[in-house]
Amino acid sequence: MRDARMLLGLALCACGSSTGGALVTFHAAAAGPADSVSGQPLVFTNALGYQVTLARARLHIGGIYLNRSVPSSGAQATSCVLPGIYSGEVTSPLDVDVISPVPQPFPADGEGTSDLSQTAEVWLFGSDVNATADPTVLADVTGTAVQAAGTPIAFTGQFTIGQNRAVPVGDAALPGSSPLCKQRIVTPISVALNLAQGGTLLVRVDPRAWFANVDFARIPPDPNDPAQRKFLDLSQGQPDLAFYGGLRAASGTYFFNWQSP
Amino acid sequence: MQVAAPARTVAQASAEPALRPPQLVQRKEATYPPAALAERRENTVTLELTVDASGHVSDPKVVESGGKEFDDAALAAVSEWVFTPAEESGKPVAARIRVPFAFRLPPPPPAALPAPSPQGGVPAPAPAEPPAASPAGETREEGPPAKEEELEATVRGRARPRSRGTSDYDVTVGKLSLVPRKAAAELLKLAPGILLTNEGGEGHANQVFLRGFDAREGQDVEFSVGGVPINQAGNLHGNGYADLNFIIPEVVSSLRVLEGPYDPRQGNFAVAGSAEYELGLEDRGVGLQVGYGSYATRRVLALWGPPGASSRTFGAAEFYETDGFGQNRDATRGSAIGQYEGHLGADTTYRLTLQGYSARWHSAGVIREDDFATGRKGFFDTYDFGQGGDATRFSVSGEIESRSGSTVYRNQVFAILGNTRFRENFTGFLLDVQEPQQTLHSQRGDLIDQSTSTTTVGSRGFARTSLDAFGRRHEAELGYFARYDVTDGTQYRIEAATNAPYHVDLDLHSQIADIGLYGDLSLNPLSWLTLRGGARLDLFTFDILNRCAVQSVAHPSQTNPPLDASCLDQESFGAHREPVQPATTSSRAFLPRASAIVTPVAHLAFSVSYGKGVRSIDPQFITQDVKTPFAEARSIDVGASYTRDLPGAALALRTGVFETKVDQDLIFSESAGRNVLGGSSTRRGLLGAARLTGGFFDESLNVTLVRATFDDTGLLIPYVPDLVVRSDTSVWRRLPWSPGGVPLVASAGIGVTFVGRRPLPFGDRSDRIFTADASVSLARRPLKVALTATNLLDAQYRLGEFNYASDFRSQSAPTLVPVRHFTAGAPRQLMLTLEVLLGGGS
Repeated sequence: MRDARMLLGLALCACGSSTGGALVTFHAAAAGPADSVSGQPLVFTNALGYQVTLARARLHIGGIYLNRSVPSSGAQATSCVLPGIYSGEVTSPLDVDVISPVPQPFPADGEGTSDLSQTAEVWLFGSDVNATADPTVLADVTGTAVQAAGTPIAFTGQFTIGQNRAVPVGDAALPGSSPLCKQRIVTPISVALNLAQGGTLLVRVDPRAWFANVDFARIPPDPNDPAQRKFLDLSQGQPDLAFYGGLRAASGTYFFNWQSP
Repeated sequence: MQVAAPARTVAQASAEPALRPPQLVQRKEATYPPAALAERRENTVTLELTVDASGHVSDPKVVESGGKEFDDAALAAVSEWVFTPAEESGKPVAARIRVPFAFRLPPPPPAALPAPSPQGGVPAPAPAEPPAASPAGETREEGPPAKEEELEATVRGRARPRSRGTSDYDVTVGKLSLVPRKAAAELLKLAPGILLTNEGGEGHANQVFLRGFDAREGQDVEFSVGGVPINQAGNLHGNGYADLNFIIPEVVSSLRVLEGPYDPRQGNFAVAGSAEYELGLEDRGVGLQVGYGSYATRRVLALWGPPGASSRTFGAAEFYETDGFGQNRDATRGSAIGQYEGHLGADTTYRLTLQGYSARWHSAGVIREDDFATGRKGFFDTYDFGQGGDATRFSVSGEIESRSGSTVYRNQVFAILGNTRFRENFTGFLLDVQEPQQTLHSQRGDLIDQSTSTTTVGSRGFARTSLDAFGRRHEAELGYFARYDVTDGTQYRIEAATNAPYHVDLDLHSQIADIGLYGDLSLNPLSWLTLRGGARLDLFTFDILNRCAVQSVAHPSQTNPPLDASCLDQESFGAHREPVQPATTSSRAFLPRASAIVTPVAHLAFSVSYGKGVRSIDPQFITQDVKTPFAEARSIDVGASYTRDLPGAALALRTGVFETKVDQDLIFSESAGRNVLGGSSTRRGLLGAARLTGGFFDESLNVTLVRATFDDTGLLIPYVPDLVVRSDTSVWRRLPWSPGGVPLVASAGIGVTFVGRRPLPFGDRSDRIFTADASVSLARRPLKVALTATNLLDAQYRLGEFNYASDFRSQSAPTLVPVRHFTAGAPRQLMLTLEVLLGGGS
């Protein structure tokens, strides 16, 4: 009788016990800033005093990843992928209109664990995060900018990350210190969230941060349309460097919100 | 308590030249009635029977009864005897003879308890010896005038370890061999709480789960065959890796599974327990089995046992080949085992065993559940066709046992050469992290290539004596174990594109010694109480040369950077550093073990056992002069057993509860491809086992419930099953037809396994497993035809399930979070086997 009771107890204990944590699937979406107006250009003033009217801003997101750890300075300086510590991922790519506040769902749900996520990553790539060449347009912008009573500057830009963003090797003994994948991963974006089954992860992308320090007057003319200017899509020149810096900024550009089921 | 003495039965010819008496060519030992065994009763039975003109037995009658239980045992045994018929003037004739059976307990008499020598969890019917010195038998020929004939038998016993209580399972396979088993490892299921899985393919050792332990491929279970250790010390795939595939299942005569470290004979790796295989072949003569089955599976098995020799003198050779049931699952193996047991005088027995084994296989590895669910991968597919392995094992063992007065002496020496190679990929393209000093690369692949070659020499022995004190007989034993291993192991990472190594993870040369000394007492202070126990002292020494100790240089040379080199011999700020690192250390372990067995009334016994076991550390973690940090287990069992003879059957039941605490557990790491050290843990559980054996059936059933948790968090230990149920059933019957005067015997066996939902990492649970394996056979000597079916219901089940991160590039973006993976269980497989048994003689 005692054995029978113990057997029953063990069975119940086994059913009620756990190894801790949980695997979850969740919905994911991306959108522009919440204060933007759907169907309207996004108007803002950047740090250099330009009033920018952003008529078009689209971003190709290759994937979203969440990480349990907070990278410490100097640690794992060259790793693009940290084995075994990821707590969430959305691996279906999405072209998102970032001047629309309306959440645009990723094609497929994300997967993850219920562990506390402390770091988020936005992966900007087309086919392969390690590819040496990738013609995928990641950011596509069009608009006008005007400084004080100056002449409005019409601009356009399509940004890719390939050899145009490669960082030259500075130390012959460390040829692998700057792999191209690092250019394609925006990290570490600070978050504090626990994924749960059936919830929704919303990534808001604020394109204003892309232009925060862009000196529009220094954007070169578009060879095909002298009436407007066009970013070079190179790691040179203040406008391109400033835009690229904003695109890859770990703070101020990408905001992660978790909506419980 | 298996006296296990194969009788040398000699039929002496009559002086009448024209008459030749029947000669025994195939005999089956009688099983000792369990209740009589428990009560230490001996007896004699004399049968009279007819040996017909075809040499088969008919019309047996009891002429001198020893009581129903003994009579039945003798009748059951003799019904399977086969003779060459008596001859008159060269012509076969029927003869009626007398056969005496002497059921004798083995000397020296053991303790006054129902020494459980259970079969599959219950006290085993031990084989009774045919007469130690049989009285003269009578032969009366039917037809010709009656002639005198004498059957003479000589019995030689072999000392066996004494039972340690409820958790000590001395499994006599017997007719449960009718249940299909593809490998000798599957015999372990006859003991409670054991689940076997295999993610490495045929040829790869089975992963053993035992009473809440994930013992991987033997790291927490001490395995031996005929006293020769199987666990490989220092194997890179897992320290203690134990591959049982070289054991041909048909020559396993018995198996002792001791769940827990309760016997002083148990040494290194006996953390969860130990399993000792004994080899033997009952059938005399020459046998050949040829089988063909699903997926072009072919098996040829040759067996021979010289007539007149002991069942432990035999030869066996096996060839096996299969295309496999899915992608990348082909396998080939060959195995040969030869053993000779001889005698020097009346008191000395010696044994020589030779063994050779070689195997090669491919394996499918894991499949991501999301890839299977979306149709990107099939259930039996693979991601990496480079997975597989090779294994060889050659061993020689010599053993001598002698008796002088009341003392038994045994010594054994053994030598083993082995090699294993495993190529496994659990994570796809995830672990090849770009390092600064490496040239730019993408993920090159996580295929691990592990090779280990081992040379093992060793010896073991004991002296066991019995003494009378306070009106009772007691026993004392002193024994030793000595083992020396030289191991070379390498682990490479293989580039998927070129199949060439791109990185050396490990390159170890290890010399490991283990010297053990133990003492063991068996005391019977009261008629209802037996105390057994003692202690063991083990000294482990390690001499390790890490030939790849330096994997990175903090300040690499500007002019000669190491780039992608693995084992670095570099200047760092001008300081030279060789890539090697020697390390030596030693440590000892003191292991007390004790059991108390109480028999308050006949048929019923209670026991409590306590013991401590150790697992030596993996050589790659050895540090100079730092004492070896053993993993230690402390275990306690409390249980009860009940044995009873029923009308036409013998029943044995047992149940018990247990608790085991381990200070450093082993946890599976998919990135390392093996178990790594974890924290302390506790297992508590309950088991029950039953065996019912009759004249035409044998049933073994066991159930185990376990709760295994980490001590620091209280969370469940992943992967270990908390509920395992196993049933083995066999039935056999002589059919009413006897074509050509030869009996027709039909038999069937079925084994059923149920495993509850196993805990997985991240709070998950696996699927349940329910499988059934069955066989049917028809025998008309010398022919036998058998049809076996494994996974009879063709259940699509996941043999192993894991939650971890992998990236097999099955999706456009890297997959980095933990998801469910599985290894596919085999589908239904049929095999038709034809067996021929020829020859034989007394």
